[in-house]
Amino acid sequence: MTPETPLDNPRQTAVGALPILIEGGGAAGISASLDLAAAGRSVHLIERTAVLGGQVLRLDKLYPTDHCAFCPLWTDIRRLQGEPGITVHLSSVIASLEASAEGNLATIVTKPPFIAPERCISCGRCAEACPLGAARPLGEHIYPPSFRIDEKICDRCGRCVGVCPTAAIDLARQEERKTLKIAKAIRAAGFVEADLKPLPEFGYGLHPDIMTSLEFEAWTAEAGQNGGRIVRKSGGGSPANIAFIQCSGARDKRLLPWCSAVCCMHALKQSSWVKRRDAGIDCWIFYTDLRTVGRDYYAYSQRAVDEAGVRLVRGRPGLIYPLPGGGIAVKYEDTLTQKREIRRFDMVVLNGNLRPSVGDGYGAEPPADACGFAAEPADVAQSACQGSSTAMKVLIGEREGSCRA
Amino acid sequence: MNSQMTDKTPSPRVLVFACRWCALVGADAAGRGKAELPASFRLIPVECASMVEPDSVLRAFASGADGVAVMGCHLGGCRFNDANHVAVKRMEALGDLLDTVGIGRRRLLLSFGTAHEGRQFAEVLEAFFRELAPLSSLAAWQKPLLNQPSFR
Amino acid sequence: MPGVIAFLCRCCGEIEPTVDLPALRERIGREEGVAAVELRDTLCLPEDRAAILKAFEESGADRILLAACSPYGKVGNVVAKLSAACGNDRSRVRLIDIREGCAWIHRGDPAGATAKACDLMRMGLGFMRHGKQSADAVVSVRPECLVVGAGSAGLAAAGSIARAGYPVHLVERGAAGGGMVKLLSHVYPTDAGAEERLAPYLEAIAENPLITFHGKTRVAAATGYAGDFKIRLASEKGEKNLRVGTVILATGAGVWLPRGLYRYGELKEILTLMELERRQREGKAAAKRTVFIQCVGARCPERPYCATICCPSSIKNAVLLRKADPDAEVTILHRDIMTPGHILERYYRSALEAGVRFIRFAEAQPPVVLGEGRVGRVEVFDAISGLTREIEADQVILSTPLVANADNAKLAELFHLPLDGYGFFREDYPLHPLETRQAGVFICGSARWPVASGEAVTQGEGAAMKALSILGRKEISALSMSRLPEGKLGHARIEDGSCSGCGNCVAVCPYGACALQPVGGVFVSRANKMRCRACGSCTSVCPNGTVQMPEHNARAVGAMIRRAFAEGDAR
Repeated sequence: MTPETPLDNPRQTAVGALPILIEGGGAAGISASLDLAAAGRSVHLIERTAVLGGQVLRLDKLYPTDHCAFCPLWTDIRRLQGEPGITVHLSSVIASLEASAEGNLATIVTKPPFIAPERCISCGRCAEACPLGAARPLGEHIYPPSFRIDEKICDRCGRCVGVCPTAAIDLARQEERKTLKIAKAIRAAGFVEADLKPLPEFGYGLHPDIMTSLEFEAWTAEAGQNGGRIVRKSGGGSPANIAFIQCSGARDKRLLPWCSAVCCMHALKQSSWVKRRDAGIDCWIFYTDLRTVGRDYYAYSQRAVDEAGVRLVRGRPGLIYPLPGGGIAVKYEDTLTQKREIRRFDMVVLNGNLRPSVGDGYGAEPPADACGFAAEPADVAQSACQGSSTAMKVLIGEREGSCRA
Repeated sequence: MNSQMTDKTPSPRVLVFACRWCALVGADAAGRGKAELPASFRLIPVECASMVEPDSVLRAFASGADGVAVMGCHLGGCRFNDANHVAVKRMEALGDLLDTVGIGRRRLLLSFGTAHEGRQFAEVLEAFFRELAPLSSLAAWQKPLLNQPSFR
Repeated sequence: MPGVIAFLCRCCGEIEPTVDLPALRERIGREEGVAAVELRDTLCLPEDRAAILKAFEESGADRILLAACSPYGKVGNVVAKLSAACGNDRSRVRLIDIREGCAWIHRGDPAGATAKACDLMRMGLGFMRHGKQSADAVVSVRPECLVVGAGSAGLAAAGSIARAGYPVHLVERGAAGGGMVKLLSHVYPTDAGAEERLAPYLEAIAENPLITFHGKTRVAAATGYAGDFKIRLASEKGEKNLRVGTVILATGAGVWLPRGLYRYGELKEILTLMELERRQREGKAAAKRTVFIQCVGARCPERPYCATICCPSSIKNAVLLRKADPDAEVTILHRDIMTPGHILERYYRSALEAGVRFIRFAEAQPPVVLGEGRVGRVEVFDAISGLTREIEADQVILSTPLVANADNAKLAELFHLPLDGYGFFREDYPLHPLETRQAGVFICGSARWPVASGEAVTQGEGAAMKALSILGRKEISALSMSRLPEGKLGHARIEDGSCSGCGNCVAVCPYGACALQPVGGVFVSRANKMRCRACGSCTSVCPNGTVQMPEHNARAVGAMIRRAFAEGDAR
């Protein structure tokens, strides 16, 4: 191995090197993309949705700093958008990834949005003209802001096309396929919430106020439809109490045998914020092991309990069902007192059913490396670290010839 | 139009110093949400609330503002490593000075992390306008000064 | 002075009729110093760029004022590109928001909105008369890295940087690398032998010519900034000066002894996990009945944190004991089993399958260790069954937390970094866990927060990747030292002659960018352009107005304030 130091501007030395493909525009993917671009490599970032940010963008606040989730993400997204070496493919997925004699080939399928974001001035006239409500803003924390048309609702009537002042709308946009020759792929597609139907005891789908943790996050977000107020989805104002059920779906042979790592802190954060916004709401967390491993996590959990008054019960409820007179019954055993109870709650938040968004399990096959939640349940900090570390491994692997370029 | 303001009552003049992270995002959200606000406020973006000098606040009062708002990120969320903590302390101390010279600390609004999402910016400003409405207009007795050409 | 060209964006009708654009155009056109006012339908579309530049060139103006939508819209990118046409001087292009900030929020008051738009534009013009761009400073990057600490994280960082092709100085206070893993017999979750785990990294130190290992050495002094840190190393052989482009702190954590707890030190065969590891290495760990107690001195008022590695480490040792002797009784007494994630949860399951017993106790009712001379048994209230159990024990293992390395405080002072309440290095920001508030200084491994060897290696590689973004450049400019694509706003500038040396700016700067220096017999402050992040804190505490940010100086701000209500007043 020759110690040739690339002392020149790295962009020069990278000319001719194949790009690196990154699947997923969340914490890990953004971190890896920025680091590789800073090291002079060109990057193709493939993002399934219409915006960058991944699951972090869907969060209201981050633990343990109680920082707004969006702000640090936004700086990185802006930097990414300004990087000439990074090509972002939104609304795209990797259709195939093959190693071949000439190198690695990736086929990307993109469904371009009906409204071209580079021409949209966010005037909203398409939304006013649409009779079906298919046109709406892309999202609250999206910059530059833009509108989008939900293809599932749109009936292609074309009224929006006529009113758009910048000719940004084309309802006939077709799917595009491209094949890229790449050096290596990094899978960083993060997690999604797994369907809870196989676990009927959690009552998901039986009552509007039984929600998953990400649904609750969106429902109570400061930037969301309720402006941060905690109210019941079924109507009737604030809930008197909320049950956070940990390990719903996780550590369960029927669905996800392993621990999703982030949910205990997520519930502590959500319940702390509920108390911050409305101290009168009684918050209960039903846990098995309260996993507060990480910087300042345990202190955060102590504050939630000692200062905010969040209650902890060790026990995984065996049955959650709607009550005929309203409300939701949660049947559980407090394993530390051995008492069995059925308690009425106004809202139930199910935490735990997080699975990798792509593929059946964790990790990735060559020619890809996985990082972030795609490799192993990871919180935001870990995902960002792993993005950087995987980027480093890819660069080293290339220098040492251990991956074909 | 703010329903509490009649055509005869001019809306209080407010100069808003907004940090270009949380606070300006909040102002932007109010704009995108098409909140209806009185047109008597002006916004000056700053890099961080700690960049707002007490001097600037006093000049604002001397230049016709009835109220000054300093808006920044919530404590713990400053991207310049808690520079906003210093800003809050400084502005609170400035409040003492305002009381002493007869302007009154009620005319200085501090909003750190409370005006950055959805309708918050609009609500915070509207509340400030209501707070200022019963107070006399500072600009009224400064008009002769402001009209001098050298002052512009 | 050539003047300003103003562009008013109609935004395809989103701004009129609330704001009377023709009237605004006419009014601004009359302002002193305005060379031309152009009204356009849009400013942000690809086809607009050429037209705007052409109009700018033809007007003979040297500055551009844009009145359009929010700075977070697409026109924000236009501003960046236009400053390139103005000699890369960002102070020559200014954007005024008359859509989200005016037309869209004052639809019921067109007269007021128009007056406001006029005031905002005149404020912008007033600002531009006095706004300047900071002088940039360009630093040649020293393409070498300093890594402090040769444990798992430091070895991974140094190895990665060297394999990427850059020289590394690896400083270690001990005689050799390996850190805490050297003291272990096996690592989790692979159960690989510790020696085997370290071997490739230690070989790299020995064989890679790019790594210079400094054993029994400490960092004695550090000054400088990203791209050029001046470091003084001290060892028994004397001192050595280095200049490096980046610094990675990987000093790891320290061990804590549970004196006074659970009769440690009083009865024989009560060991810490580390002491058990040593016995494992020597092949002397076996015992018929072992009891592990978790959270000894952790998750308690004195140390309110979970130290990450104790649960998996106990599980690792428990399984090893069971495998060595299937008749051995092994019990782990715990308050929660901290094995988050997929790999560690499986590790936990494997312990259950291997016959390790787990008993939960409550924080308020800790187990009691009993014995005479040597440990005899442990009494524990099993919180889940509600029964008190007595467990015969031949050895009791106390799981104690990692604590912050005693050297962190000194390094924090040298590099002007904050420590958290427990003594670990603080990172900068939620999405940047390996970066500190000092550009060019990175943290990884247990110096940052207790982690296992595997995660420390990941963080070391990650820190190396961050360092590469600086090391890989020949030069970096002070104005680019920002996370934002357009660079930072500017940097603080101290006027010569009017600094009274009070030191307020030195005290308030979060980055240690200001320092008092002797100049002509008196102390005056100097702001380091590379360290300054343009937060403006210093400008607000300076009693003389000496410290200014040229891009946001007092004259410019004063001009804005004076003009803020002028038209509103005339109404």
